[in-house]
Amino acid sequence: MKNRLRVLRAERNWSQADLAERLEVSRQSVNAIETGKYDPSLPLAMRIARLFDTTIEAIFIDDED
Amino acid sequence: MLCTPKSKARRRYLYRLFAANVVYVVSAFCTKWVFLHLHPTGAVVYLLAVIPALPVIGILAIVGLYIAEESDEFERSIIVQSMLWGIGGALSLSTIWEYLHDFAGAPHLSALYVYVFFWIFMGISQPIIRLRYR
Repeated sequence: MKNRLRVLRAERNWSQADLAERLEVSRQSVNAIETGKYDPSLPLAMRIARLFDTTIEAIFIDDED
Repeated sequence: MLCTPKSKARRRYLYRLFAANVVYVVSAFCTKWVFLHLHPTGAVVYLLAVIPALPVIGILAIVGLYIAEESDEFERSIIVQSMLWGIGGALSLSTIWEYLHDFAGAPHLSALYVYVFFWIFMGISQPIIRLRYR
């Protein structure tokens, strides 16, 4: 699934490690999500959305859209 | 770094794994010593023979505990996938070996090797699985 995580992260000048620390996950997790190779669960997607103060739909883009 | 344990759950997992392996080595050594020097008989033989198996079973429980304690779902998925590779690899290899033994005269392999194969396949598959997500 495509997402805007890299853009949102860059806007805040956060590294992958910074984001990983804030989400309490590994840096590899952040990289896997960013590159669209791993789709996070709904609870993790909600945590990400909360962290960026936005909605899940504003971060994750459905491939069929 | 691929091998740096980041989470507390991962560190606990590695510590428990190390402790269980130490217990296994000690219990296997002691059991062997008792059978060689004290020659136990009766029901005690069965009880003693099972002792080295307990930490081995414990190691599987430790992996289960890690999956339950790890809060990072991505790391959980990696370990679950590697366990599936471990189970599949161990069962496949032991099945192949059994047929090689039956029909091609390959030497008999102890059933304990299934467990060894499981860990080998699990260990090899982890970095390969991680590569898929890079």
